[in-house]
Amino acid sequence: MNSTDIWTEKYRPSKFEDVVGQQEIIKRVKSLVQTLNIPHLLFAGPAGTGKSTLALIIVKELFGPRWKENYLELNASDERGIDVVRQKVKDFARTKALENIPFKAIFLDEADALTKEAQQALRRTMENYSNTCRFIMSCNYSSQIIDPIQSRCVVFRFKLLEKKDITAVMKRIADQEGLKTTDDALETLYEGSEGDCRRAINLLQTTASISLNINSEMINMILSSTKPKDIRVVLDYALAGDFINARDKLLDVMLKESIAGTDIIKAIQKEVWNLQIEPEIKVRLTEKTGETEFRMTEGSDEFVQLQALLASFVLAGQGKSA
Amino acid sequence: MSSTFIEKYRPKNYLDILGQDKAVQEIKSFLDQFPKKKALVLHGQAGTGKTSLVHAAAKENNLEILELNASDLRNKDKLEGILKPATEQISLFKKGKILLMDEVDGVTGTDRGGIPELVRIIQSTKFPIIMTCNDVWQSKLSPVRAKSKVVELKPLDIGTIVSILSRVAEKETLNKNSQFLKLIAIKSQGDMRAALNDLQSYSASKDIEIDVNEKRDTQESIFIILKKLFKERAPFLNLFDSSPLSIDEILLWIEENIPKEYKNEALAKAYEALGNADVFRGRIYKNQYWRFLVYQNIFQSAGISLAKSSPLSGFTAYEKPKRILKIWLNNQKFEKKKTIAKKYARHVHCSSKRAMRDFNLLRPILNNPKVQKQLDLSEEEIEFLKK
Repeated sequence: MNSTDIWTEKYRPSKFEDVVGQQEIIKRVKSLVQTLNIPHLLFAGPAGTGKSTLALIIVKELFGPRWKENYLELNASDERGIDVVRQKVKDFARTKALENIPFKAIFLDEADALTKEAQQALRRTMENYSNTCRFIMSCNYSSQIIDPIQSRCVVFRFKLLEKKDITAVMKRIADQEGLKTTDDALETLYEGSEGDCRRAINLLQTTASISLNINSEMINMILSSTKPKDIRVVLDYALAGDFINARDKLLDVMLKESIAGTDIIKAIQKEVWNLQIEPEIKVRLTEKTGETEFRMTEGSDEFVQLQALLASFVLAGQGKSA
Repeated sequence: MSSTFIEKYRPKNYLDILGQDKAVQEIKSFLDQFPKKKALVLHGQAGTGKTSLVHAAAKENNLEILELNASDLRNKDKLEGILKPATEQISLFKKGKILLMDEVDGVTGTDRGGIPELVRIIQSTKFPIIMTCNDVWQSKLSPVRAKSKVVELKPLDIGTIVSILSRVAEKETLNKNSQFLKLIAIKSQGDMRAALNDLQSYSASKDIEIDVNEKRDTQESIFIILKKLFKERAPFLNLFDSSPLSIDEILLWIEENIPKEYKNEALAKAYEALGNADVFRGRIYKNQYWRFLVYQNIFQSAGISLAKSSPLSGFTAYEKPKRILKIWLNNQKFEKKKTIAKKYARHVHCSSKRAMRDFNLLRPILNNPKVQKQLDLSEEEIEFLKK
């Protein structure tokens, strides 16, 4: 195994027994692997809840030390077109597995980012090569996966990790790395993680790069430095009726910090309640914000939708609700 | 800075005002007979010369103008604080003054108590008050109407517009044939300001002569499409058919230019329509279901045009969509960030997008020399992380 000093990798569980949370899923998947009776799998659930980890454990259990030769990992949000399915997936799927292994495995991460067209192509591939290849797919929203694929897979739904799970992971890492943590710090790490274990570990490592004594002030400081900062500035421009500046600033923030629209919308949703406007208008703006977020998950252009939202803030600044 | 034709050729006196003889007579008699009627409302569509007429009248009578227009807030307090004192003070250097309330139909809900206060001021004023508006028959203006003399300015006829345009063209030494000027005049639909703006915008490109006969069949430039969309109020559906640009490219142009044309409610409505167009665009791509194009087109054309409550006048310099360029420039600048994110992502089994998003959180981790070695970062990438 490669040595690594990135903790999300260093402490990634490599056995079923080490996985935290999702116990029902683990039990079922484990029995599938033991009988060597593996269907195509679809893991649906939020980020950082163990989908990739479980996929990796499966292939390691199945293929042993030479797992890498029989395993292809693709991230659909980086390679989302139909060409990926046509070339990489097919090329890999059509040759037989090495050694005494009945099939190979393809892990298609963030499969919900694939276009519908690519998904249709994938569906055929899954059928044609089912003798030689098994698919494990992950997604945040299973609704974004076309029905024919869902019906060819066993679907497992991952839940957000609970506080005790995240805390257990944090404690284990702190132990091994010789960190001192307070109860307060563990609480803050959990809150900052939002149930996403990858985020919790990254947060812990970044904090540890400053000091081995982890306390909640340090964590909060790091958290605030990673949040989109100038959202309030954007909203203040909009409320003052200066749409053009609001829009330019927003694009600036998004580009410079590579912040996704979905993170911007989270920040806006929280900031609405700190604004000096009538409570009823806050409720209306929240409705608009929610609709905007929904549209983004549906695949609309983030920046167009955010501009529409900013225009509602312009009206709110004049005491009107859109 | 060179001034616009609008300002440069604004009529200076009654003689300069063409095609509005009746209105000129009315304003003369109103000023002569003051204070028989204390206020005058000039109404008519955009570009018929309402404001120009007031300025000409002031010059003719050696009067000062105190102007409040739509860009000022005109609620009760403001009117009481500024307009009312002005109606009582004697002007220092001139004989008298005219109080001009431009675009009174722009006194909106936010200008609380504006109209009733205006009526009170009309009753007590020592100076003539002149108001202009597009639509005098709105119910909110009825108290003002009752206290004022009402005069309409008709849209200018084509002949008048052509003669004004040719006078300007001559002074500017623009070699424009009369067919061309007539075309501009017809397009303006009686809006002198629009006609002058058009003349000026065409004059900027001196060697481009527009062939009148080609008007219908040529591909329309995006600027003309935007102008129709924003300046007219009509349920356009075929507007984009004549453009060489794709509907998605046009969407970017509209996105860029909405705030140059629309404010407040119209702005919100227009972006709502654009947002809807975009939702259907997303569905087309996701599902490859091209029938949704109908909906995208309707929201993007009629939806944008009807977002305003009345047609607009004036010249707008539309701009190219800047967003795509900005994204591109940004990508150049953050090229290294991307390659680092990619290496990191492969190492930890996540998407580069996710790595990009978490970059600030990850930065201290990536600055660990051991990690940099494990990720096989280049010197340039390591240099980038130091910044």
